[in-house]
Amino acid sequence: MTKVKKLGALIPALTLAFGLAACSGGGGNGNSGSPSASTAPSTDAGGSSASASASPSASTAIDTSKFVKISYVILGDKPKNGQFEKVMAEVNKLMKEKINAELEWKWVEWADWQTKYNLLLASGDPVDLITIGTDWLDTWGNAQRGAFMNLDDLLPKYAPITWNSIPQENWDQSKYKGKIVLIPEDAYTQWVNHGFFYRGDWAKEAGITEPIKDWDGIEKYLQYIKDNKPDVVPWDVNPSDSTFGGWVNSYTQELELPISTGWLPVFTAKSSDDPYTIVSPIFDDDSLLNYATKMKSWADKGFWREDVLNFKGDTRTELKGGLTGMDQHHTQTFGGLRVEMDRNQPGSELQMYPFARTSGNLLELSITHGGTSVGAHSKNPERALMAYDLIRNDEQIYRLLNYGIEGVQYEIKDGKRVLPANYDQDKDSFYSDFWGGRNDKLEIPSDTVWDQLPTTLYAEYDKIKKPYPYGQFVFDKTPVDAELTAISQVTGEMGPAIAFGKAGDPAKAVEAFKAKLKAAGYDKVKAELQKQMDAYKQQMQG
Amino acid sequence: MSASSSASPSAAATAAADRPALAARRGRSPFRMLVANRTLLLMCFPAIAFFVIFSYLPMPGLYLAFIQYNYTDGIFHSPFVHWQNFRFLVMTGDLWRLTFNTIAYNLVFILLGNAVQIAVAIFLNELRSRWFKKVAQSLMFLPYFMSFVLIGLIAYNILSYDYGLLNGFLKAIGADPVKTYSNPHIWPFIIVITFLWQSTGYGSIVYFAAVMGLDSEIVEASQIDGANALQRIRYIVLPWLKPTFIILLLFSLGGVLRGNFGLFYNLVGANNTSLYATTDIIETYVFRSLMTNFNFSMGSAVSLYQSVFGFFVVLSANWLVKRLSPENSLF
Amino acid sequence: MFKERTAIRVDGSTVFVRVVGYGVIGFFALACLLPFLLVIGTSLTSERSIARHGFNLWPREFSTFAYKIVFQNPDLIIGSYYVTIGITAVGTIAGLFIVAMTGYALQRPDFHYRNRISFFIYFTTLFSGGLVPFYLLVNQYLALKDNYLAVLLPGLMSPFLIIMMKSFVRSIPHAITESAKIDGAGDFRIFLRLILPMTTPALATIGLFIAIGYWNEWYNAMLFLSPNMKYRTLQLFLYTVVTSADYVKNSSAASNVPLRDLPLESMKMATAVVATGPVILLYPFVQRFFIKGITVGAVKG
Repeated sequence: MTKVKKLGALIPALTLAFGLAACSGGGGNGNSGSPSASTAPSTDAGGSSASASASPSASTAIDTSKFVKISYVILGDKPKNGQFEKVMAEVNKLMKEKINAELEWKWVEWADWQTKYNLLLASGDPVDLITIGTDWLDTWGNAQRGAFMNLDDLLPKYAPITWNSIPQENWDQSKYKGKIVLIPEDAYTQWVNHGFFYRGDWAKEAGITEPIKDWDGIEKYLQYIKDNKPDVVPWDVNPSDSTFGGWVNSYTQELELPISTGWLPVFTAKSSDDPYTIVSPIFDDDSLLNYATKMKSWADKGFWREDVLNFKGDTRTELKGGLTGMDQHHTQTFGGLRVEMDRNQPGSELQMYPFARTSGNLLELSITHGGTSVGAHSKNPERALMAYDLIRNDEQIYRLLNYGIEGVQYEIKDGKRVLPANYDQDKDSFYSDFWGGRNDKLEIPSDTVWDQLPTTLYAEYDKIKKPYPYGQFVFDKTPVDAELTAISQVTGEMGPAIAFGKAGDPAKAVEAFKAKLKAAGYDKVKAELQKQMDAYKQQMQG
Repeated sequence: MSASSSASPSAAATAAADRPALAARRGRSPFRMLVANRTLLLMCFPAIAFFVIFSYLPMPGLYLAFIQYNYTDGIFHSPFVHWQNFRFLVMTGDLWRLTFNTIAYNLVFILLGNAVQIAVAIFLNELRSRWFKKVAQSLMFLPYFMSFVLIGLIAYNILSYDYGLLNGFLKAIGADPVKTYSNPHIWPFIIVITFLWQSTGYGSIVYFAAVMGLDSEIVEASQIDGANALQRIRYIVLPWLKPTFIILLLFSLGGVLRGNFGLFYNLVGANNTSLYATTDIIETYVFRSLMTNFNFSMGSAVSLYQSVFGFFVVLSANWLVKRLSPENSLF
Repeated sequence: MFKERTAIRVDGSTVFVRVVGYGVIGFFALACLLPFLLVIGTSLTSERSIARHGFNLWPREFSTFAYKIVFQNPDLIIGSYYVTIGITAVGTIAGLFIVAMTGYALQRPDFHYRNRISFFIYFTTLFSGGLVPFYLLVNQYLALKDNYLAVLLPGLMSPFLIIMMKSFVRSIPHAITESAKIDGAGDFRIFLRLILPMTTPALATIGLFIAIGYWNEWYNAMLFLSPNMKYRTLQLFLYTVVTSADYVKNSSAASNVPLRDLPLESMKMATAVVATGPVILLYPFVQRFFIKGITVGAVKG
């Protein structure tokens, strides 16, 4: 996330005369690294030259006589140790055999990923499968811009297992203007609700024996560190993430909406009982003021460094090194971090205080947090869906893609995935960053995730969780695009200082912030949001 | 060039037979002109082709600023939305402050930057020790290879309140530590100094090369006439550098509304509100605006605003130069 | 640089200029060196020590872990070096030739189209089509995806360099061209045989700029060379090493990528050292041409 996010990255575009633009050359010669593994005789027989020329019309019945290449847009950095190519060769042996196709991962590296991901969609590159996420990849926005293909007619025929395994109500959440535009990752359990991670051992020293259940408890914990551990910054926080959403979550029944307002949430819904009334934790109640006051007091107590707003270090590294007492992220991260902390800081007993614990206000994860779409300009959508059906449901392919080769990347011991004895992190590590349709049925638990997660946090969540109410709500930003952009700017401009107690008197800062939001078009956006929410309410209830 | 159809084949034959330079003076017909300049035109051809392909072909893309871009329909079928994409810039009333900040910083960068570069080039030229010059020039080049990310990190490690080198030093000598990151008034200086530090070595190369091109006989003659070093610099070297300066100036002015994003973003950071009053420029503002609402059209709109502004600034500057010293104007 | 023997007498003001010159240049050079030493020192410091004590000229806790990570796959970094060196060498020579040729033509007072072409070239610095059309152009119309030409071609020249060249060449008296013409030499021949050898300082300067541009290039490489290519440019390689570590650590999306103990800060420093090191050696080499240019200039007298 560093370096030049060049403004050039945000600049313009020309014509989209895609159709004939030949782009077969380079992308085709994929498998650079692994000459040896892919020499199964059957693979060569089909000849790999046909790539981009397969015509879509040839598929009234499922005809796989033509060998095709399927590209899959994946977020992440390609592993550099050559293992990925080996695994892919195995996968493609199966792909060739089953559907006469070859799968190619089209990596969008983290370096400037927003630019590259959006550029791929905007330029009309004929990509086949695309990783999506409605909350972090602006998938509805891209659907609105016509980036994805409608799948209603294709799915039953070409991805029958997926089609049948996803219940109708989940398909309903995958529609834009009544058409299915994505396949949700709805069969995979994960919790991405946020909370504070704190050390159980230090909490005990501080006299906190029960799990912490509110921000005052956290304050007590941090104060103990401040007073007793001079070499430790209680919370050496990196200001890239805001905790205001967490505060709202802890102290109100308001719900987060699937609308980004930049650095901190400006709009919420009233509660689970009334999810269709738009409110604002900044204007309609004192949430922001209370939060700002609390954070000012934490800043004054010296829980974080004086120059927190410019600090670019990594809190998690410091936590692992015993240099700070707290970190903030979601439950999934905690599951892995707990195991790491047990190794790096034995006896630390890392704990998580999920923000929802105080209020019991917890929504299930949106099933479209992850998923897969088919590109609007895909040349082989049929085969792409067939490939997807295999990736998601074929045990052999699924495990290859997610875990690697058994015996090299993992072994199964007592029903758990463990690293083989001669495993070498540098030489053997493998990942594929497949987040487009993981499947609990085919998952094998791993020993790198805390094994008590299901009995502790998950169990706690299951007691309080409420269904996600906005699965089918797609906010059309067009009428308020300018206002929303201006609001994002304001939250980015003034939010961080308020959130870290660096804006002077909290009451005054909050008032100034409100005034600026008003100027940026707060009222107009709220009215539009309410209008669309009313329509959604009608749709859901009528 | 467009009217070349008027020339007859026979005229072409005569023109080709002529000596090109003479033809240029004698004949005024466009076709004769073309023929007379054919070699020089051919010599320009690779560059012209380059700019046609890499700059002019994509240029219609600026139209993006006026549409609501739909990936399926393509640019020329997406709905036209007039000035919608520009609205987010003017809504909060910040545009004028940003425009002012951006221009002010750039003018300081341009004027001070060139002054320092010229000074360094002249000093280097006056020095006698070869190894000193070599080493110094190589060292001055170093900062140019450091990314702004790195520069931002270094600055933080020097200036930060709790652990910074500066405060460590101040504490060691018994002075009070300073809170650099909450004092907006000091930042224009820090930014300008960092800019000079980073760009001077690189930028002075142009001037150094220009000084090198100065005819040594003129210099020697001036010395024999008794001119001292200061007079020599004042009356010979500086006027010699004037055309170079004007060209660099005109080039920089075109981008007078384009901020140095890397510099500001990494030095000031994306979160430190308290410094924005003196450090916010168009680029950082747009970055905050579009960070979560990625939108090619709005980015395009900003770019167009900057271009048009720069275009008029350059036109005026060039007009001025043309009146004052015609041989140095760009076009 | 004026020859020592011609410095007939060293008057007061010359001494003054020199003293100030040594002082200013020396101070400035030192100011440029210190942060770089800081970078080297920090690249050799353990991550834990950086987190606690910040950067240091001299490592408190010595560690070469960062370099181990950067050089984890030595063939990759060596391959990237070759790619960058290759692109830089070919691109600089080709670009330099075209820039010089164009610059010469554009400064010829008898070239009828010089102003129009100058404006045509200059105009592109003001308005650019932007990223999406550029991407389409290179990726689809020129079909240069995963082709090193996608990095090489756009870096060949810039309006700035051409106009700089034009103004450099202008300092060569037009009389030289004219007398050669009377002797019957063609324009291209005059340029190649007469002008080119006289402009070495200008060529060195502009060549240096082109070369540095190629050396630092990562953005076009990122856009057009996909990760499926084994070797990409050096800067891109180093950049991805750093950003991926950075990103994987902070991203909520990337929660499934195995966390690794990466020496993030020191790695940033180490990559800077690896990328910059060779260039520092390049400069003294280029410097020769500046001096050479003078002697040629003197001969022409």
